[in-house]
Amino acid sequence: MDGAFRKIDVDQYDEDVLHESELYDADPRSPAEVLDDVRQRQGAVRSLLAKNDISGALSVILENAPYGPNVDDAKNLNLQTLLTVLNTTKSTDITNIIKTLSPDAQDTLMKYLYKGMGLPGWGDISGSVLLGWHEKLTEVAGVGCIVRTMTDRRTV
Amino acid sequence: MAPEVFTLAQTPITSHSFSPDRRQLAVSLNSNEAQIFSRQGSEWVQTETLAEHDKLITSIDWAPNTNRIVTASQDRNAYVWQQQNDPETGKLIWKPTLVLLRINRAATHVRWSPNEDKFAVASGARAIAICSFDPENNWWVAKQLKKPIRSTVLSVDWHPNNVLLAAGSADMKARVFSAYIKEVDQKPAPTVWGSKLPFNTVCGEYASPAGGWVHSVGFSPSGDVLAFASHDSSISIVYPGGPAVYTIRMSTLPFVSLTWTSEDSIVAAGHDCRPIVFSGNEQGWQESGTLDDATSSKSNESRSGFGGGSPTVGRLKAGAFATFRDADTRGQSSMAGAGTGGSDSKLLTIHQNTITNVRPYEFNGSTVSKVSTSGVDGMLVVWDVNDVSALTSRLSATRLR
Repeated sequence: MDGAFRKIDVDQYDEDVLHESELYDADPRSPAEVLDDVRQRQGAVRSLLAKNDISGALSVILENAPYGPNVDDAKNLNLQTLLTVLNTTKSTDITNIIKTLSPDAQDTLMKYLYKGMGLPGWGDISGSVLLGWHEKLTEVAGVGCIVRTMTDRRTV
Repeated sequence: MAPEVFTLAQTPITSHSFSPDRRQLAVSLNSNEAQIFSRQGSEWVQTETLAEHDKLITSIDWAPNTNRIVTASQDRNAYVWQQQNDPETGKLIWKPTLVLLRINRAATHVRWSPNEDKFAVASGARAIAICSFDPENNWWVAKQLKKPIRSTVLSVDWHPNNVLLAAGSADMKARVFSAYIKEVDQKPAPTVWGSKLPFNTVCGEYASPAGGWVHSVGFSPSGDVLAFASHDSSISIVYPGGPAVYTIRMSTLPFVSLTWTSEDSIVAAGHDCRPIVFSGNEQGWQESGTLDDATSSKSNESRSGFGGGSPTVGRLKAGAFATFRDADTRGQSSMAGAGTGGSDSKLLTIHQNTITNVRPYEFNGSTVSKVSTSGVDGMLVVWDVNDVSALTSRLSATRLR
């Protein structure tokens, strides 16, 4: 039996269909501006890391993190910058650093942790680091933080 | 005062509503029939069954002044029930009246307006039906609020002026509409939400902070402030005149129901299984505690394992986790030695599962002195809202562990 009819996008015939773009307010910046911004932040993070200011570095990365469609390059670059910070942090310092972050930054950090764990192959490289941060972050910010990661359509 | 706890059923309580005198209770026990319970001493005894719906009853509201019950169901219908004398036996029985909702999806939530001459039915048809009585045909007719709702409406709440209606929806927005019906309503006085209010005027639209469904909405007693709880584990309080929106991000699982108890306090409850109290004013809002006090009655451990901080892991290890681990590593089944296994999986909160409804129970002047909650665990609990125990001190204690 021909199953092609199952692949028809029935939503296109629905006038009231809900589009991805209606679910959240789009980033007003263009993809190029976002990428540019993330590159500049990478530099700022390096200099903060050199001064051993890890919570400052995290705040820079997590504030106004790129989200939405068409900015995949910027998202990946920001994730890599974040991972360099996560990897260089001593595990005993993690809890205190997380406590200095704003609730917004904590939520964004959780999004990145899940993104990192979800990327194929990444688990081998930094899986234990991500899980360590995840455990500490959940202790501080609670399961509500994980719930917000799941509900928020502004994916990082 | 300790909360009054009743186990009504072993099935979830989908919705509950008390009679005006609080001697009777209408509930939907996750079925297509509504049950009426009567208070006999310290027990609730089932006395009547309202059977007319074909599918699950999603919401019930008992009008306090006119003594009418409205039920909404997944069968896309609503009925208004009135007590009448049975012509044969002469006994008082509940008689249903049809409501022409004209919706093509389930009805999800229903509430009488303050004057009890209208009611609002939220539905999955991206619409809210505002129903008023048509005496000529002896049925209730609906006018629909549609724009700009983009998804299922999950809850509604009336403004005290009988005209404005708040709605929370799965399109992640809370909205305030005008539900002005010419045949029923007087011209409303201007409010902070607006002055010209023809039907379907959108007086406010507020997005949930991190994209969660808006589960519950509520106007403050004055109607000047709106609160909504959403599935991103947050509660938001809106001052339209401000314009300010205060958002409290919770460290716990999301709330699904809330009610105002006075102009400066709210009780909310949900997946965390215990009611939380919030207090505040135009200057800001904060969590002030919980009604489900852990320390006094049971143990010094932190209550619900879902609560903020470290106990989450601990509770899981102690409960279901241990059961599976033992079964896996030692081939032990705790089913056989029922003694320990059963008590370990019990939550430390009074409610043993998600609380789905919080409603005012007793008034003290203009403020609410008691609220009732019901949930998936089949329990109904009446709480004294002034019996707030601090959440913060206990939380910090558990963090120090």
